Amino acid sequence: MAFVGRRLLQLIPVAFGVTFIVFFMVHLIPGDPAVSILGIHATPRAVAILHREWGLNRSLPAQYWLFLDRLLHGNLGYSLYYGQSVTSLVLSHLPPTLWLITYAGVLSVLISVPLAMIGASRPDALRDHVVRAVPLVGLGMPSFWLAFLLILIFAIKVQAFPVSGYGSGFFGHLRSMFLPSLTAALALSPVVIRSLRASMLTVLGAEYITTARSKGVSGHRLYLRHVLRNAVIPAVTVLGINIGFLIGTTVIIEEVFAIPGVGQLMINSIFQRDFPVVQGVTLVFAIMVVLLNLLADVAYAALDPRVRFD
Amino acid sequence: MTYRTTAVRILAAASALAVLAACGSSGSSSSSGTTGGAPVHGGNLVIARSQDSQSMNNTTVFDNESIWVFEQIFQPLYTVTPSGKGVTPDLATSYKVSADKKTYTFTLRQGVKFSNGQPMTSKDVKFSIDQSRAAAQGWGYIDTAIKSVADPTPSTVVVTLKYPWAPLLADLSLFSNAIVPANYGGKSETQFYTAPVGTGPFKWDYWHKGSALKLLRNPFYWEKGKPYLNSVTWTDVPSDNTRQLQLKGGQAQVDEFPAWSTVASLKSTPNVTMHLFPSTRTDYLGLNEKAKPLQDVHVRRAISLAINRSALVKAVLFGNGKPANSLFPPQVPYYQAATQGLQYNLAAAKAEMAKSSVPHGFSTTMLVPSGFSDWTTVSTIVQSELKPLGIKVNIQQLDPNTVSTDQQSLKYDMTLTYWTMDIPDPDELATFAVDPAAGSKSFFTAYDNPTVVKDTHMAEQTLSTSARQSLYNTIQSQSAADAFMAFLYYSPYAYATTSSVHGFYVTPLGNYHLENVWLSK
Repeated sequence: MAFVGRRLLQLIPVAFGVTFIVFFMVHLIPGDPAVSILGIHATPRAVAILHREWGLNRSLPAQYWLFLDRLLHGNLGYSLYYGQSVTSLVLSHLPPTLWLITYAGVLSVLISVPLAMIGASRPDALRDHVVRAVPLVGLGMPSFWLAFLLILIFAIKVQAFPVSGYGSGFFGHLRSMFLPSLTAALALSPVVIRSLRASMLTVLGAEYITTARSKGVSGHRLYLRHVLRNAVIPAVTVLGINIGFLIGTTVIIEEVFAIPGVGQLMINSIFQRDFPVVQGVTLVFAIMVVLLNLLADVAYAALDPRVRFD
Repeated sequence: MTYRTTAVRILAAASALAVLAACGSSGSSSSSGTTGGAPVHGGNLVIARSQDSQSMNNTTVFDNESIWVFEQIFQPLYTVTPSGKGVTPDLATSYKVSADKKTYTFTLRQGVKFSNGQPMTSKDVKFSIDQSRAAAQGWGYIDTAIKSVADPTPSTVVVTLKYPWAPLLADLSLFSNAIVPANYGGKSETQFYTAPVGTGPFKWDYWHKGSALKLLRNPFYWEKGKPYLNSVTWTDVPSDNTRQLQLKGGQAQVDEFPAWSTVASLKSTPNVTMHLFPSTRTDYLGLNEKAKPLQDVHVRRAISLAINRSALVKAVLFGNGKPANSLFPPQVPYYQAATQGLQYNLAAAKAEMAKSSVPHGFSTTMLVPSGFSDWTTVSTIVQSELKPLGIKVNIQQLDPNTVSTDQQSLKYDMTLTYWTMDIPDPDELATFAVDPAAGSKSFFTAYDNPTVVKDTHMAEQTLSTSARQSLYNTIQSQSAADAFMAFLYYSPYAYATTSSVHGFYVTPLGNYHLENVWLSK
């Protein structure tokens, strides 16, 4: 618990650093949110009115201080585009992204574990080469291309899934988010498969496996209880880190599948120069990455009692 | 081997998850009816669009994605005709004008109710137009000729003008002058526009920002039997490809603005109807007269003469458009088809360059908004077409927001821009494009021809149709001769719908009347 508490405390400087960098980087980008909203009708007077309304006529440090002050009171500010609180906007866009990340994580485990086991069972045999080579296609293909391929096959030809969207209700989400999650999982799996396969080969050569075999433990029991459990720890690290990267790639997947997640909110807000939303979403992304890494660390202890937190 | 069993079990679990996901809810069925016939009631029309709306405040919002939604909720006194060149009664039935042409008395339609069941009266009309006039950073400028609005009886509204004003009915047909309940029905302005109430065919349901916006049938709508649809949902689908796939998969019935490159294939796609509605969109090459040597009319004329507009239409619009000859598009009243403008003529272009201050050419930069393949193509073609004149064009692609900011502060040499009409009268465009004092700095080009400016303002207060035509003819031919912008091409509004959609029509101004739309079973 102390470890978890310490890691959570580390979130504070990370979040502070992220807000600092993002705030000033966003303001470095040329362009004006008032111009974005007023379009061709952006007369200097109309722009000035909006700047005053939004507080953009203040100095940058004053704006940052206001942002921090609001943040400490649990307020991420107000969207310049929608005029709505950033917290409510981010919270309404968070569930689709969490669905995507979780669903992709589950699918990648369901794809990776059996394939790694098949590969590790006969090293350098044909099945092993296939297991190592074929998933690399998923890694090499751009996500947007793979996404359209899956849509064409499973949504247009087979009509088993909707073309895009988030769906409604648990089963609606399960169905609508399958293809986007599979897209992410296919990109995630090759690394996990290779890592897990390598770990399993190492574990299969260990003395305790020989001992277990000599004691008559074999097959299902041997692989699940002794091999997989020991081999999975490095794979958990790999999965944790890659899901962290996945948070970044959700932006593309959300765009292609028209999923109203935080990734899409981020892109739209950048184009609209909606500074408070960009800051809010970045902060949420940073917290998610830190929490995912923490989750991976905690998972070690659950999987391997020898691991202790110092 | 047992490990195989384990692996197979996990694979089976993955497959089961896929099957479970696939069966989680009923598959979306594609409406494929192709017959027309009598309209039927019911159904939810899904319009897939690339961008979300910004706000439902009709007095301050400029983005089309907001306008096209709240036009289904709010209605003005007069509305645009299908041709886009005139107005027709909407919430008013008729008007009388005084002898001095400064007082208009409107008779309101009887029996009109808001979607909350309350009757609409002249108090609502007065409140609405007064609110629109007061919108300083909104559309207030459109009503500058209005001196006052009065509501002498519940069914009569009197609009008094500061001076005779030819575009009055066109101005009143603008969405910003649409009717909302007086005092926002007792709510604050902000509260009201989060769930607006109007007299239109549809009423508010929900708006999940960045995702979907839904309107329901207004049971109090005054046109008997309409609307036919139970509801309309606008979904935000940024990817062109995904919108098209949603249409093919039956998840959406309308694809707003499919890419030009896909129009031909959509025309031959089963159960899909490709619509190309005449529009008022005109694309221009803006020339900043504050940037040397573009202050030289010969240079500007040379540039305009060197551009092969037919080639642009072919390459950019895949043939789905027309070369532009005038500042005005053909769907605007007083458009002059006879104005040839400065069409492609390389010899004439070279002759103009020879007469200019830079006969041997010069280097310049073209500022182009990124992310628009059409404009990328245009810039590349124009770049190569200006080479024979010795003009070296450096293309600078920046994100659209930055380009807008630079255009408005005249920090560019050449740039690409466009216009679509908001009202069925050329006044708004003419003032915006040629009056350097209008806030838009002559379409952000710093163009200043006093004769053209004078004619533009004279046309505003000239009520005779023939006299206005004469003034606008001069404006069109003179602005073309001055080549303050190169008029590039006119393009239609492209919408793809499933063949189950009937009655879907977009006016040249971009408005659509969903009360006429129905879905066949």
